[in-house]
Amino acid sequence: MKNLKSIVQYECFTSFKYIWLFYAIQYAIVGFITLIVGLASGTFDDIGSKCLETNTLIYISILGVMGFKEDFKMLIQNGFSRKYIFIATLSMFAFISGIMALIDTITGTLLHYFSSSYFSMYGALYGYRHSFINWLWLFLLYMIFCCLMYFVILLINKIGRTASVCLAAASGGIILLVIALFRYVLSAETVSSILEFLAAAMGFTAGGAVNRIIPLLTLSVLAAVFAAGAYAIIRRTELKE
Amino acid sequence: MNAIQIKNVTKRYKDVTALDNVSLAFEHGKIYGLLGRNGAGKSTLINIIANRIFADSGEIVIDGIPAKESMKVHEKIFCMSETDLYDTGLKVRDHFKWAARFYDSFNIEKAFDIAEKFNLDTNKKFKALSKGYQSIFKLTAAMALEVPYVIFDEPVLGLDANHRELFYHLLLEDYERNERTIIIATHLIEEAANLIEEVVLIDQGKILLQDNAASLLEESCCVSGIEHEVDAYCAGKNVIGYDELGNLKIAYIMGTKEPLPKTGSLNCTPVNLQKLFVKITEKGGR
Repeated sequence: MKNLKSIVQYECFTSFKYIWLFYAIQYAIVGFITLIVGLASGTFDDIGSKCLETNTLIYISILGVMGFKEDFKMLIQNGFSRKYIFIATLSMFAFISGIMALIDTITGTLLHYFSSSYFSMYGALYGYRHSFINWLWLFLLYMIFCCLMYFVILLINKIGRTASVCLAAASGGIILLVIALFRYVLSAETVSSILEFLAAAMGFTAGGAVNRIIPLLTLSVLAAVFAAGAYAIIRRTELKE
Repeated sequence: MNAIQIKNVTKRYKDVTALDNVSLAFEHGKIYGLLGRNGAGKSTLINIIANRIFADSGEIVIDGIPAKESMKVHEKIFCMSETDLYDTGLKVRDHFKWAARFYDSFNIEKAFDIAEKFNLDTNKKFKALSKGYQSIFKLTAAMALEVPYVIFDEPVLGLDANHRELFYHLLLEDYERNERTIIIATHLIEEAANLIEEVVLIDQGKILLQDNAASLLEESCCVSGIEHEVDAYCAGKNVIGYDELGNLKIAYIMGTKEPLPKTGSLNCTPVNLQKLFVKITEKGGR
């Protein structure tokens, strides 16, 4: 267990320090743009950004990629098994996602409190009354992005560059096919049923009520699926020098 | 059994067989030289032992424990790589600190002590070090780790002659104090020849030879003289190679030494390990 503790500490500690740099840059840019636009237009009314969590999603996706790119080599050099590396990486994702979700929940709520024109991602969908569920929802969303990108980068590493390009092209084709199916093939009734199902999975019931627990379950399932996919690949991943 | 046992290991890359049903054992308490030409399969074998890549078939057993994906062998083996696998953004001293957390057997005082002997600046980040000092960092980490099996893959890459001498000296000094198994894969054979107790020669994915270095050199010789005399002497012997210059010929012979004819121009001199390696691998093809 000492080994597992040390590897989890390594993953968390070496990733933690960059969070503050990210937020410093993000808020500096938002502040700077607000100032410039405000000064240029002569008013600060209706100026600002919305859903700043999207920036965190980009950061967290990069973290997912780096979770493999950098750390796998270092940890395999230090004799850790792939199972330990996977557990440590997932722990790091959870640790970073938890902290960033907390920061984004607090800042999102505060920004909305001071400026009603600002909406956070969760607030825009579900309101601002349940801070803990807001944090949990964001945490799970960030975990999905980490696990998805971790899964994707492991898959790319496994199948190689050419096969990855083919897979990306095929994925694009599948998306176009699904859009075409929705527009030209499926009946309006079927499309409506699918959309209703997706909305229900995110907690929006047909009756207009909002369930805040169902989306948490949906996001948990998605994160678990991508994490399981990543584990299935990393178990067979070889070091490429 | 206290050893790294390699049992029928095969590894293929598409149509290339990197290792072909390789079986051997690295016993505890010896210094091995793992020798082979470029692409012979040395790195593949090392990477499989270190659980970095997987064998298509066969297995590695360390002190009776199957090594594949096992944390039970974590405190038993360490492999210093030729390639840079370390976090390039971390300072050397931080690498030492993390190694001390990862391994119970990492002696951090010893690491700083070795670093000082090499004038390695521990406040520098790995990426800021020169190629030579990156090698020094890697071999410092390996030497400070007191595990029973240590593999050095091209340990002196980029090191100047003084640093290479210091490394060999420190390695022997450490070995005298704390006997363990050291496996050195290197192309600088003559430099490492004084350290090596056992030679493992790998070529085209197969073990060509595994023998005690001293007895190997003892049983080998280099016979030189006029061509027809050399040919006559060599008849029926295990000749691993020739060099020719005009009508002079040098034959490299392995096996029991026989006395030279009292008449004639023949001379018998010892063969060094590097020459032996070159001639054996020439015979092995390419």
